[in-house]
Amino acid sequence: MLEPSLELYGETFDKVEVFLDELISSSHARYALIIDLKGFVLAHHRALWAPKPPSLDSMATLIASNYSANMAIAKLFGENGFKEMVQKGDEIGVYAQELGAQALLVTVFDNSAALGRVKLFSKKTVDLINQAIGENTEARPNLDFDDNWQVSSEALLDGLFGTGKQ
Amino acid sequence: MSTINFSAREINFKIVYYGPGMSGKTTNLKKIYEQVPADAKGEMVSLATEDERTLFFDFLPIDLGKVNGFKTRFHLYTVPGQVFYNSSRKLILRGVDGVVFVADSSPKRLRANAESLRNLRENLQEYNLNLGEIPYVIQINKTDLPDALPAEMIKQVLAPKGDIQFFEAVAQEFKGVREPLRAVSQLVFEKLAQKA
Repeated sequence: MLEPSLELYGETFDKVEVFLDELISSSHARYALIIDLKGFVLAHHRALWAPKPPSLDSMATLIASNYSANMAIAKLFGENGFKEMVQKGDEIGVYAQELGAQALLVTVFDNSAALGRVKLFSKKTVDLINQAIGENTEARPNLDFDDNWQVSSEALLDGLFGTGKQ
Repeated sequence: MSTINFSAREINFKIVYYGPGMSGKTTNLKKIYEQVPADAKGEMVSLATEDERTLFFDFLPIDLGKVNGFKTRFHLYTVPGQVFYNSSRKLILRGVDGVVFVADSSPKRLRANAESLRNLRENLQEYNLNLGEIPYVIQINKTDLPDALPAEMIKQVLAPKGDIQFFEAVAQEFKGVREPLRAVSQLVFEKLAQKA
């Protein structure tokens, strides 16, 4: 089975890119990412002035895992989950908020941005993204994962790991 | 469930290395990390205790390359093997596409292998998944131990029907490390091609 975590493609994706850009400029955040709960990056934006981010794969995996762990903690107390997550260090903060059932909007900010402002604009962005996805009438791109695709993928595997034959 | 990112033109697969404590799951990932060219791998992340036992997970992203204009990516995870970290193991199984079960050849660990496999089945059920429907293979690791059990005996305990692919390994020496990963990847591709 092959499913997108969020219906992000075509015009909807273009709109979401604009929303992430606006989130960064309005909140003065460094980076804004949409990640799925498996830890894959779906979209990301970086402020022009921001330094190069750490590995996005690592960031997404750790934040998604942290979210899952927090959900499990919430359930220990009979809660359905925590709706948002905030981490704040001496300089860097991370704010994550649910986006649909399978994704998170993550905003990374530094001391030049106020947490309240980050929260406010993140929530607004989640609403805008949900609205854009809800209004989407565009059909999903058609994909063909047939036998040829499988053969080509396996050839790539051999290229990376070898065939295992001595 | 495999996930697709239309905008980035990526297909993503999550492969989890499961098995009892100290069976060599982290060693597998470390050896794969050493083997894969720098341009095809990301950082390896390990959330471990001070004595280097896995606390939450190890993580290694790998880019396979492009097919039909789509980049194929693997996220490899290990789970903590120690019995009392079951909550962490459950979390890591979210969205799993394939499993490499790493069994330990030591006679003292035969029961631990069986219990870990049972634990895997139970934890998958939390996500309404059945091990029989998920691509999975078994690696019998540490076959170089002087008192290693015969692979056939371990097979009889873990998969008596003989319907699962087994691979003998000495992960520490990179023997039998790539084969199970390749095999489970093939199974994942087959499943996707069938369902697409």
